[in-house]
Amino acid sequence: MIEALFQGLLQVLAWKPLLFMLIGIVLGFWVGLLPGLGGATTLALMLPFIYGMQPIEAFAFLLGMHSVVATTGDITSILFGVPGEATTAAIILDGHAMAKKGEAGRALGAALSSSLVGAMIGAFALAAAVPIVRPLVLSFGSPELFMLAIVGLAFIAALSAEGGRGMLRGFTAGGLGLLLSMVGQDPQAGVARYTFNTLYLWQGLDLVPVLVGLFAIPELVDLAVRGTSIAGELPVGKLTKGALEGVKDTFRHFWLTIRCSLIGTFIGIMPGLGGSVAQWLAYGHAAQSARTAEERKGFGNGDVRGVIGPGAACNSKEGGSLVPTVAFGVPGSTAMAILLGGFFLLGLVPGPDMLTTHLTVTFSMVWTIVLANVITVTACFLFLDRLARLTSVPAHRLIPVILVLVFIGSYTTNNQYADILVTLIFGAVGWLMVSAGWPRAPFVLGLVLGKIAENYLYISVARYEVAWLTRPVVVVLFALAVVVIVYPILRARRLARREANA
Amino acid sequence: MPNRPAFLLGIGIMAVSAYAAIAALAWPLKTALFPLVISIPLFVLATIEVVSLWVSGARFSTTKDFQRPPAEVPGTVAALRSLAAAGWILGFFAAILLFGFLVAVPVFLLAYLRFQARESWLFSIVFTAVVWAVFWGLFDYALHLPFASGMLF
Repeated sequence: MIEALFQGLLQVLAWKPLLFMLIGIVLGFWVGLLPGLGGATTLALMLPFIYGMQPIEAFAFLLGMHSVVATTGDITSILFGVPGEATTAAIILDGHAMAKKGEAGRALGAALSSSLVGAMIGAFALAAAVPIVRPLVLSFGSPELFMLAIVGLAFIAALSAEGGRGMLRGFTAGGLGLLLSMVGQDPQAGVARYTFNTLYLWQGLDLVPVLVGLFAIPELVDLAVRGTSIAGELPVGKLTKGALEGVKDTFRHFWLTIRCSLIGTFIGIMPGLGGSVAQWLAYGHAAQSARTAEERKGFGNGDVRGVIGPGAACNSKEGGSLVPTVAFGVPGSTAMAILLGGFFLLGLVPGPDMLTTHLTVTFSMVWTIVLANVITVTACFLFLDRLARLTSVPAHRLIPVILVLVFIGSYTTNNQYADILVTLIFGAVGWLMVSAGWPRAPFVLGLVLGKIAENYLYISVARYEVAWLTRPVVVVLFALAVVVIVYPILRARRLARREANA
Repeated sequence: MPNRPAFLLGIGIMAVSAYAAIAALAWPLKTALFPLVISIPLFVLATIEVVSLWVSGARFSTTKDFQRPPAEVPGTVAALRSLAAAGWILGFFAAILLFGFLVAVPVFLLAYLRFQARESWLFSIVFTAVVWAVFWGLFDYALHLPFASGMLF
């Protein structure tokens, strides 16, 4: 096994795979920066190019591209408040708030270094977990996966706003997201739900136009109202120093970085939950790590932990999601489903073969993730000054350029004008939510989890009837969901009592 | 007067969830189950929010979301600027529908820079040309994104 590990490294470092990996990294770098142009879409577009490549070259190219998309997507999210990727939306909440406070360099430093740590942990998980994880994945059926979705939603709804009123709004926003996820053809009976006889809505609401509208449009309006640069009148500061501070932050909160990386890896391993879930769960966990009411208020206002958590989870999930793809042929996400297509194009069959005959190829994937992230993060640090200075460009020059990117990012989802209309509608919803003090994170998670949760619930009921509720892991996860909801209320009461006594 | 955006949002969610529940009643049970399980509690939650807004007045919960900085711009100016921004966004969308992306992008950039940002003609033209060249080179020439033509061109 150790021999295969080194063989994998040596083969990735051979000139051809290395060249293909570098080409992939350059592509992934720009795909990540451009809002809406998703990593999964680009993987699909690049798939035909792997004909004729050797497996290690092909995976160096595809994974090299895919594993850096989330890293550079963080940059767009932090600097402009526009999600570079659907999987990098959570980092906006605190990352962009830091950019507005003139701490763009620090936020980018924290995001990049936590991404790197996350990617390493994800890659390590891929290397180490394959023999261990098999019984775990096989023990999780539809009931457990449904409950995992519910825990995720409870987590973010309960933690995304302060107090009972905030929790009410969190759950309402989450419910709205769940409801909107039902737009489109019902997967069980094929009935068109809430489509208003429109063909466009039959496939449901795509995540990218919704996210771009929800996050980017309110930011653009806010920028136009303030009339200053993103960082306002605040000096952007010495960026390299700020970035170093961000790197130090990652190591200052090292255990948080590790925990969020593990959350990302775990979500990645669980088939069907996807990267969008990982970042929000990690954000929720980071917010939960605040010990005092004062600390908790910092989240959403530029707390570096709100950057570190999603940054780490977003990249660690890549290694994690490769585990079920490689070991069982069960893709952990859309991108992995496309990558699975790559396996078949190359004549490889995921499963035991990948752990025996083609073990070197499996380890070459681990090394590709590690090397691609090291190269990307180094490149990002080299260009950090230029990237972060974009926050001091006057708003009136940035707004039209960002708006063009927003509309193109949205349009490229289905190449239909209706995508832009969806962006505009959710832009208005996002603006209302920000104006009203409603959290947007539960809404997004509801939208992401809705279809998955419905499918798992349907299969659970069809397969086990009511008995699925008594399965041990389901009971444990249900208890966890209750704790997640009740604990913040109890803690708020205890804090209020303590403050009243003081 | 309650917090107006929160009130609008609450009323909107009440309407959406009520419609969702009523529409679901016409479907077979396995199609309607999940929509009903979600829309009915959602209606109740939104109603509680709207009622409590009336009872307790304007309340702004602290969210873990990006928050507006303290008002640096007077209320009326902010409202006017918000309307202007919304106008430009909708105008750009209308231009895309009418002329297609390839024409609407430079027209919008030039118009925004010259008339909203009050940049000089020279700067506006050069900036527009550079952004348009990048846009065309990347999305049209290199990536071959299928930009649909507009209603007029």
